[in-house]
Amino acid sequence: MDQKAYRKQILISLALIGFSLFYFLSSLHLKMGTPRNMGPGFVPAMLGVLLLVSTGFHLIRVYRARPSEEEIESSPKKAKNYWAVAGILASTAAYPLILETVKFIAATFLVGFFMLLLWKPRKFFLSFLFSLGMAVGCFFLFSRFFGVALPSGFLETLLFRIGA
Amino acid sequence: MWEITQGLLGGFSAALKPLYLFYALAGTILGTITGVLPGLGPLGAMAILLSFTLKMDATAAMILFAGIYYGAMYGGSTTSILLNIPGEAASVVTCIDGYQMAQKGRAGAALTVAAVGSFIAGTISILGLTVVALYLSDIALRFGPSEFLAIGVCGLMFLIRMTGGSLLQSLIMTLIGMTLGTVGIDFLTGAERFTYGINDLGQGIEFLPVAMGIFGIAEVLLSVQETAVPKKAQKVPLKELLPTRIEWKRSIPSMFRGSVMGFFMGLVPGPSPIISTFVSYFTEKRLSKHPGEFGHGAIEAVAGPEAANNAAVGGAYVPLFALGIPFTPAMAMVLGTLMLHGLTPGPNLMKEKADLFWVVIASMYIGNFMLIVLNLPLVNVFVNILRVPQRILMPVIVLLCLIGVYSVNASLLDLLLLAIFGFIGYVLRQAGFQVAPLILALVIGPMIETSLRQALKISGGNLAEVVFRPISLSLYVATLLCFTVPLVLKWTRRRRG
Repeated sequence: MDQKAYRKQILISLALIGFSLFYFLSSLHLKMGTPRNMGPGFVPAMLGVLLLVSTGFHLIRVYRARPSEEEIESSPKKAKNYWAVAGILASTAAYPLILETVKFIAATFLVGFFMLLLWKPRKFFLSFLFSLGMAVGCFFLFSRFFGVALPSGFLETLLFRIGA
Repeated sequence: MWEITQGLLGGFSAALKPLYLFYALAGTILGTITGVLPGLGPLGAMAILLSFTLKMDATAAMILFAGIYYGAMYGGSTTSILLNIPGEAASVVTCIDGYQMAQKGRAGAALTVAAVGSFIAGTISILGLTVVALYLSDIALRFGPSEFLAIGVCGLMFLIRMTGGSLLQSLIMTLIGMTLGTVGIDFLTGAERFTYGINDLGQGIEFLPVAMGIFGIAEVLLSVQETAVPKKAQKVPLKELLPTRIEWKRSIPSMFRGSVMGFFMGLVPGPSPIISTFVSYFTEKRLSKHPGEFGHGAIEAVAGPEAANNAAVGGAYVPLFALGIPFTPAMAMVLGTLMLHGLTPGPNLMKEKADLFWVVIASMYIGNFMLIVLNLPLVNVFVNILRVPQRILMPVIVLLCLIGVYSVNASLLDLLLLAIFGFIGYVLRQAGFQVAPLILALVIGPMIETSLRQALKISGGNLAEVVFRPISLSLYVATLLCFTVPLVLKWTRRRRG
């Protein structure tokens, strides 16, 4: 494990503890009830305590596994494409935000085009055509074949009529 | 016996309908493709296709998923043998000797032995599933909340023990899965829990965006961050597919041993297809007359593990059909599909919807047959799938996940959850966490809570009455032994030096 990976582990452990604490405190607002008649908060509170204890242990374990200088130097450095990861995550998160506004085909095209460009920025025209084809293809597949009601505007209604 | 024969005949007459045959074929082909593609296992494929199944009837969805599961197990062996890349986690063991056989020019024989082994294992495990599930479901009809609580708790504990990696990390994942299961309106009191004023959360966190995020999106993210150059596979001529007489003689007993072992391992919670391959490998090595060949291209080391991972698939269906409890993440996916179709698996389903059970069983036989008939001649075609560039494959998978999740409830919240769980899955898996317990706990968690509350209500709040019932107590003791025996053995070994 290198220094970066160690820091990442610590951050994850802290995030887990944060989640546990938040969940436990939220569960205290619910009614607990009695063992015979358990309220909606009984099981969540129990889970919260267990989660807090186990994430606490995890943090201690991670903290104690701090890598030595030798380990840091000998750990293999792998090249990782974090830009692609961030790009895909951004497109996945952006999709629900633009879907209702620009409607299905445009939203699917934009997200697909962006993701294709992430890998091969030079193949602009090919990516454009492929993502457009993918958006229209998906529209027909889901709306006509599977009968899913997708967010539709002028373009979708027109295509739907042409398809019919 | 008459019930089984009658059920199977009825199942075959329905499963041979063109539509169901089409789904069985589609499932086996899709499964093989996902098995061939490294990273995208049966879970990812099921997660992506979960939303597609909504427009099918429940039987067709089950047939499709069974085909995917079997197909992936088989497809994984193809890349293991030809490229030394396990397309699927359960094919890691096959890499050891399968690839060595390919290096010696016996790739065709290894592929045939893997395919025949998978077929034999599939058939044996389906037979086992038919018999065991029927009898177990009869017994399960007498279970009350205490027994279901014990099965749920022990199932999760076994899963934590068997998942591999750190016990503490698996426990944390299980607890997080259970916490996610508590979100939404409490079914007993009607109180809102952890919804924070978001109306859509009242129905709870849906299984689909979580599963698709953690397995589908996270898988894509993990694949794209690596910048590895794909290997080139060797071609396998059809005439080289036939093993020699000696190779058959050596591999057939291993196939049967692997099948039986795999089926019984499938009954245990945890990633049984993966564990069964390791158990089978070491058993074969111990029993072999040529243990020195292991690691250098022993055919038993391909036949046994390949049979075992396929048989484990059949075994994993038993608890789902008979008890309504999934013991593996893939079965959680199958359970999720059934629930999306308004069906609750378990002993009642097997009585009330017996036709569904029998059609699925019959289609498993058919799917197994399709696998062997189609896949061996088409092995070179499937390997060529690896040539599809990642830059095309990955965006397509992401878009299918997005549209698939939206098509179920037309909910933007589900899409946001998909993105969030995709990120969470990516981060956790990078940090070495096994996320399978999370997804299983999300499914089993609410059942455990319901059973606990019902059982305590019935017993008047007396926990001893809930625990000290014959079936429950034996399950708790078995779980306790599962955790303590390895520790005791380790301690005694250390004392002996």
